[in-house]
Amino acid sequence: MGKINERTRDLGHFLEMADDDIIICRCEEVTKGEIRRAVHEGMFTLQEVRKFLRTGMGLCQGQTCGKLVKGIIARELNISPNELESSTGRAPMRPVEMQVMANERKEG
Amino acid sequence: MKRYDLIIVGAGPAGLSASIEAAKRGLSVAIFDENSRPGGQLFKQVHKFFGSKEHKAKIRGFRIGDELLSAANALGVDVVLNAIVIGIYQNKEVVVNIDDEIVHYKGDTVIVATGASENMINFRGWTLPGVIGAGAAQTMMNLHGIKPGERVLMLGSGNVGLVVSYQLLQAGCEVVAVVDAAPRIGGYGVHAAKVARTGVPFYLSHTIIKAVGDKYVTGVEIGEVDKEWKIIKGTEKYFNVDTICLAVGLSPMSQLLQMAGCDIVEDPKRGGTVPVCNHYGETSIKGIYVAGDVSGIEEASSAMIEGRIAGIAASYYLGYIEEDELIKEAYEQEKSLEKLRQGMFAPENKGKEILKTDEGYDVSISLLRNGYLDEREVDKYPGVKRTKGVHPVIECSQNIPCNPCQDSCPKNCIKIGQDITALPIFDDTTTCIGCGMCVASCSGQAIFLIDNDREKEYSYVTIPYEFLPLPEVGSKGDALDRSGAVVCEAEVVEVKSIKAYDKTHLVTIKIPKEMSLSTRFFKQLKEVY
Amino acid sequence: MENHADIIIIGSGVMGNAAAYYLAKEGKSVIVLEKGDHIGDGGSTRNGGGVRQSGRHPAELPLAMYSVQNLWPGLSEELGVDVEYYQEGNLRLGKTKQHLDILRGLTERSKELGLDVKMIDGDVARSINPYLSDEVIGASWCPTDGHANPLLVTLAYYKKARELGVRFITGEEVTEIRKVKGKAQKVITENNIYDGDKIILAAGLESRKIAQTVGVDVPMNPVLLEVLVTEPQPEMFYQMLGTAEADFYGHQSNHGSFVFGGTSGLDAFAIKDDSKPTMSITAPAICRGIIKYFPNLKELKIIRTWSGYIDDCADHIPVISHVDEVPGLIIACAFSGHGFGISPIVGILLSEMAMDKETTLDVSPFRYNRFKAKIQ
Repeated sequence: MGKINERTRDLGHFLEMADDDIIICRCEEVTKGEIRRAVHEGMFTLQEVRKFLRTGMGLCQGQTCGKLVKGIIARELNISPNELESSTGRAPMRPVEMQVMANERKEG
Repeated sequence: MKRYDLIIVGAGPAGLSASIEAAKRGLSVAIFDENSRPGGQLFKQVHKFFGSKEHKAKIRGFRIGDELLSAANALGVDVVLNAIVIGIYQNKEVVVNIDDEIVHYKGDTVIVATGASENMINFRGWTLPGVIGAGAAQTMMNLHGIKPGERVLMLGSGNVGLVVSYQLLQAGCEVVAVVDAAPRIGGYGVHAAKVARTGVPFYLSHTIIKAVGDKYVTGVEIGEVDKEWKIIKGTEKYFNVDTICLAVGLSPMSQLLQMAGCDIVEDPKRGGTVPVCNHYGETSIKGIYVAGDVSGIEEASSAMIEGRIAGIAASYYLGYIEEDELIKEAYEQEKSLEKLRQGMFAPENKGKEILKTDEGYDVSISLLRNGYLDEREVDKYPGVKRTKGVHPVIECSQNIPCNPCQDSCPKNCIKIGQDITALPIFDDTTTCIGCGMCVASCSGQAIFLIDNDREKEYSYVTIPYEFLPLPEVGSKGDALDRSGAVVCEAEVVEVKSIKAYDKTHLVTIKIPKEMSLSTRFFKQLKEVY
Repeated sequence: MENHADIIIIGSGVMGNAAAYYLAKEGKSVIVLEKGDHIGDGGSTRNGGGVRQSGRHPAELPLAMYSVQNLWPGLSEELGVDVEYYQEGNLRLGKTKQHLDILRGLTERSKELGLDVKMIDGDVARSINPYLSDEVIGASWCPTDGHANPLLVTLAYYKKARELGVRFITGEEVTEIRKVKGKAQKVITENNIYDGDKIILAAGLESRKIAQTVGVDVPMNPVLLEVLVTEPQPEMFYQMLGTAEADFYGHQSNHGSFVFGGTSGLDAFAIKDDSKPTMSITAPAICRGIIKYFPNLKELKIIRTWSGYIDDCADHIPVISHVDEVPGLIIACAFSGHGFGISPIVGILLSEMAMDKETTLDVSPFRYNRFKAKIQ
């Protein structure tokens, strides 16, 4: 990205759609309508939608819904999904129990 | 912390192949895989691979997995299973969760070969139990021996959708339909044909409107789409199903590379979020490489070659080989990779509408729209010729890099030539001995033996058969045509299963002579499941 | 579009967004310039969400108390977003006599300034939070402390400010502030020049570079901190937690997941990287710290870790200040890891300063030119 992005640009009137109630992020149960509405409220990037709605913050960390959320945001902004940022990968790649994380193998 | 010359994340085809090349050249190698069995997608692949001998053509995926694993073990590679790489930190530190411990490792080089995950699609009801990825269904069936459901609808007609549909049939599931929003079948025509001849209908230009069910899937509604992807009123069709398989593409699992700080791009041609890398698979971070689906969705065959290249490149980077060996070896592998990336389904042809084969034959529209060749167009192709006595009929009509049929015939009846994407030609000046090796060797199950001269009124058609239980000699059943429609009654005269066929059994049925051009499948009369 | 506004704000973190909101409420025109592609991607949305008064420097305490008493309780309603503010108290835990000494010192200091914080023994602590390990022998307890969701607060201020007409522009990196006839007026980016009667510089660590373009420096250093978050759990407790030696701090969120921050001890030496990487030894260390105090949490699964930089000031309290020698410039940065809890009042103070009004609270302890050599 790194492109100038006017956040106050007019996205048009928010039109409710018949499939707004479909769940997109299964882990956090976020619907399509919530995502669309968040974009209209100013959340123009994957990260902002994620922080605002928790999409991609569940157990699967966006592996299931990532592409879907991107597509919805992009459509709302009338841009190509590839113009949105890639998601960020962070440890742990799979959920790890605290006691396991605490248990570092001591090596010589 | 323990330091290896090379740490590989993922023991699939790419990872194992990389480990072999590196260990061969003297590197200390560790592979970590989160699964309890290595081989990645290979162990789920019960079908025979395409390509040529160097690409392990006609060998079933899981056997290739076995071979790679043995080779890696023999070379002293540390294959650590149930080991989840939870992060790649600075200085190529790889942290692994093994059992109830966290272990820190360092690699002088790291190859990330973590593969890809399945895409999802949203339709009303997609979160109901019973909606699963096609790959997940495949894991259930082929690794765990569990039927994903009884009646299945498959969404997606790429190779994954087609291959898994066939495997669902083999597992005893009923596949009510294969559906795709595209106007043409996305995968190999021969994969579709295998499914179509059993009677599974294809609905192209259709999509799922909704999945129906209270606590789990009990049905699905599909409908035809217009140019704007809107459902055309009146085209809705309902199926009673308990399972909906989604085969709508894969996305590289590149999270570790993102975490490591490699440059990342969004490339829809490669499947999504992929690392920037050169032709050796080296990312923007020196010493970190990628191979396989994580760097771009392709096939297991390509993954193996990319793995080898990365393993060789890492060996050079660490001074275990000289530059001239790197260049020579990498060149050989790249040539092999190029051979796979040819033909109708080459990456560069993605999305293109191809109407003629390289040789100038019309690509079958019926095959692309319905999943089966139209009987009237079959003898246009060079593999289909009428001759006396027993002879093969090769219904291969698309340029795909694949040539095991040529190698299989002891009498040189089948010719493809140097360019392995060429359509196979049946040389009618040769004498077929009816050994059936070609029928069994064709990974696309597109070769049949026909003998019109054994009896006056009847023809003998030999078909490849991979369903259990095998029919009994003398039993009667229905002969089906390419679309799965019943054309006549048939009697089983021979069932041949030899080791060389590798579980592609040959069933020879006797049918009225006029049906020999149509008969391509056999359905036993008694339902045994 | 017009590149002039009453106030130009540099940085779309919680401070900048809050200031923008309070200014817009008063009818001022505001432009907020954000270097990155995302609103508030710095410390504002990476911190642990603590809204505490206890354990603060005496200079900050009035701001914290004012925020907790007057602003936090009504913030969700004011912004139209549930920011998940919990006021369930703050337990700072100790397992040794030395720990208790540290806690006692902090407690006395705050009590003198009117905060309702006191020392309690281990059993009383366990009656408040039954999940504490038996090894806890005492704690400081401040019942009016709490926590909120920093992601939502930062973005809610942004959302509301945007609704009120504030112009936000991301992907606009400010390279220079320039005076016009003695007054800070122009804000220069790669691609544009913006013009404001007042300029608020609230860009976290990046403020330093920008302030230097008008000859001002804020002595602050980046300090890496890491946070981990767990899978959601049914409600266990909602107190804000900390330890005497600051091994970790955190809370259970509205969502049910636990958010814990901490350090490995080697964080000052972390390799500086814009992508804010995590260190492999930190999360394990934080976990060991947590388990000692909360053995019940040991089976909780961690699903993500991340890091962020604290803009740590030389004296560990922020700069919230007019800059006399650069009239028109207001600096708000160096919150040293405890900005979030006082963000609502800081937003109001900045708006007052930008409108040349008298400030609700005294900001003189935070003036930009307070830094002196050790020998005077």
